[in-house]
Amino acid sequence: MDEDRRPSAGAPSNDGSALSPQGEGLIDGIPLAKVVRPESIEDLSEIIANEKGSIVPLGARTQTYFGNPLRNADCVIDLSSLRRITEYNPADLTVHVQAGVTLGQLQQALIENNQFLPLDPWNGPNATMGGIAAANAQGPFRAVGTIRDWIIGMKVVEVTGRISKAGGRVVKNVTGYDLHKLYTGSIGTLAIIAEVSLKLRAKFGRTATSIAKAADVSSAAQLVASVRHSAIEPVACEWVGPENEIWVRLGEHPSAVDWQLKNLPPADWTILEGREESAAWERLRSRYDRLAPIVLRIVGLPISAHEIIKEYRPPAWIAHAVNGVVLAEVRTAADIWRVREKYRAVIERAPLEIRRNLPSFGLNDAEYNLMNKMKEAFDPGGRLNPGRHVDGERNQ
Amino acid sequence: MRTEIPAKLRQILEPASIVEDETELLVYECDGLPLFKHKPDIVVFPATTEQVAQIVRVANEYRIPFLPRGAGTGLSGGALAAEGGILIELQRMNRILTIDVENRFAVVQPGVVNLHISQAAAPHGLYYAPDPSSQMSCSIGGNVAENSGGPHCLKYGMTTNHILAIEAVTAEGEIIRLGNPAGEMIGMDLIGAIVGSEGTFAIVTEITVRLLPKPQAVKTMLAAFHSVEECSQTVSDVIAAGIVPSAMEFVDAKTIEAVEASVYKAGYPHDAVAALLIEVDGFGEGLDETARAIVEICRRNNAYEVRVAKDDDERARLWLGRKGAFGAMGRLAPDMITMDAVIPRTRLPEVLAAIDRMSGRYGLAVANVFHAGDGNLHPLILFDSRYPDQVDKILGMSEEIMKLCVAVGGSLSGEHGIGYEKKDFMDLVFSEPDLDTMMRVKRVFNPTGLLNPAKIFPTRRGCTEIGKHGTTSTAEIGKRVEAVLLGSPAGRGRYAEGAPDEG
Repeated sequence: MDEDRRPSAGAPSNDGSALSPQGEGLIDGIPLAKVVRPESIEDLSEIIANEKGSIVPLGARTQTYFGNPLRNADCVIDLSSLRRITEYNPADLTVHVQAGVTLGQLQQALIENNQFLPLDPWNGPNATMGGIAAANAQGPFRAVGTIRDWIIGMKVVEVTGRISKAGGRVVKNVTGYDLHKLYTGSIGTLAIIAEVSLKLRAKFGRTATSIAKAADVSSAAQLVASVRHSAIEPVACEWVGPENEIWVRLGEHPSAVDWQLKNLPPADWTILEGREESAAWERLRSRYDRLAPIVLRIVGLPISAHEIIKEYRPPAWIAHAVNGVVLAEVRTAADIWRVREKYRAVIERAPLEIRRNLPSFGLNDAEYNLMNKMKEAFDPGGRLNPGRHVDGERNQ
Repeated sequence: MRTEIPAKLRQILEPASIVEDETELLVYECDGLPLFKHKPDIVVFPATTEQVAQIVRVANEYRIPFLPRGAGTGLSGGALAAEGGILIELQRMNRILTIDVENRFAVVQPGVVNLHISQAAAPHGLYYAPDPSSQMSCSIGGNVAENSGGPHCLKYGMTTNHILAIEAVTAEGEIIRLGNPAGEMIGMDLIGAIVGSEGTFAIVTEITVRLLPKPQAVKTMLAAFHSVEECSQTVSDVIAAGIVPSAMEFVDAKTIEAVEASVYKAGYPHDAVAALLIEVDGFGEGLDETARAIVEICRRNNAYEVRVAKDDDERARLWLGRKGAFGAMGRLAPDMITMDAVIPRTRLPEVLAAIDRMSGRYGLAVANVFHAGDGNLHPLILFDSRYPDQVDKILGMSEEIMKLCVAVGGSLSGEHGIGYEKKDFMDLVFSEPDLDTMMRVKRVFNPTGLLNPAKIFPTRRGCTEIGKHGTTSTAEIGKRVEAVLLGSPAGRGRYAEGAPDEG
């Protein structure tokens, strides 16, 4: 397997020790010569203020394959030491975490109060909160929201080393511009996310997952349609192909979950709960990891998963079936072009040579122009994560 | 304003879509915050996006300020033509273009009234969740600009969580489309930045909103307490129990007094020091148990009366008191100001006690009716503007309340926006670098600063960093604001007689 296109297994920097970027100290073929590991946000600010070259922020490096190819890396900033949950207010349903806190670490802290963050990005519990926000990483819980719905504020370090914040520390707030929304999904190319404030929710009273296997694409589509038309409200609904399995996750008051299980549309459902349930979702996550060589996030209308699958017949896929988002395994650049003739499609993962030749985001002109101006406003010298976002979008 | 400008606008719009008459312009001199008044030079009523774009290009050509306005119900002066110029009134762009039942979204023009979306979706079992209390009159375009909230955003989130795609006219007159009905953010979250930018980034001309299936069942209850502490503790305990109420609203004795004396009479207990209106919704199964758990928590905190609405009529009556509370204040005083601030919900008892002490110190009555679940306070300061000393006092008191909320880790506004009203308090929450970075982003969207000037940023920043392009009235307005904030006699103005809008 090509070193450039796959996430490193696990999270090498999670323990704050050895750095093994995509195996050999490379990201997109760029050697990571100088690596620094700030211990505090002030540290981070100072390092950035003193660095004159390009700056590459890294979290658990589970997503270094996402985005346009990196151009250079004079100074790599490993944020894994910024792993403090700075404040957790269970009664206010808010938590404030440094960028290097991992999702797993956070959920572990929240569970004591029966709370959680409804996020299950494919890159797993070792991913850092800063990284998840920077890449806008998502998973099956997309049906109930993405990280943008949970972030209430951010502290960032700008390319000059200046620390600035946006949003706030309360669950409801309209004071000032929501710049944290802009930083979300910007892959650290506007500013480096140093701290994230999140609102939380109470854990579901109970969860259960029902899985049914359909005979073929069209009967799977019918099953998805009947889930949509039924009174149940899944917190995740995935269509896994080519097996044509439909995964429906329910999360609510125990009686409401019971009721929904009884009211699932007719199919041969296998119902999983407890450990079995979490193990199954963990398996699906590794299933996602095996989609190769290219994972394309195809965006249609909420009901168009069927149309997309039927039209492009990907060899394998996982679709957020009620959201109209299909994560399709595709083989070639030509396949990407073909999809983009009709749908918006983001390259979630692809070998370097593909990402060198095709824009990762496929931005339209309006998006491109605005994002480009935004990049110019924040980082006129193009030193933050050079090439990874809009700055690498149209110069292939 | 230069004389060619009306002529140019007449080339774009028919005469009936242009208001120039000095008397008619008075209607547009303020929004729901009448403290600040300034007439636009001209008001235009475009019917299409293309017309909006052409108007914006004219404004750019002559370098005059312009701004959008919806229903004019905003409470922070967001639609105030602070520097005159062209006011682009979007009320005629009020068509619901699509209700897509299968895909659960609606495409609407900005002038559509919030509630009309839910009404149009209702036959399909769907609705639009964000429900500011002004939802019968406020426009969705204004909601997008302000990132409006409402009682039910405790469970369902604010406007920003429900906007999937937009069409907008940029500050330079270009028409752009962002987002998609799947709500999939591609690249940076530009829509997230535009929603809540208070009409300073772009003029939104078409909006795709998410529709949700109506909950199967709803339970509404009212709990009455003899103390604010017990009432606040109930809020915390409900959250701690892992219950996700759809709304949790606080009303105090003063509010109950006003409501019960008004046409909004809801049968609230007369002797309560504080009461909570709590609503849960979702699947029918389990909801009774949840409601019972809430009743139990209320009782444990010494609620002396807990009423669970038996039917829709009773539910509606309980809400009538809450939603009519602002209008009912006229029973207690001729004038009031509606404040809007947020605190961590755990700090409710101490903040309310402090506000109560301030009320005594200033000799001004305060009623509290607010979204307790998310700590979004709305202290209503009651006064009589015929007595100038009262006007001076409320300015001091409102500033003190804002400082207090910020000091306990809260923020200046939970849902009304900063607009013109609170811009000079932004320094309380944001540092120089924070504001500078925000200004930098504003310049990306609004490089000339002509779109809705003199909003959000402290006055001196607006002048020095965006550059002077306004009329002489800028200075006048600046002086007036200074006067108001410093509480000098020159700044005396009448606040709203009853707030037309609140979250």
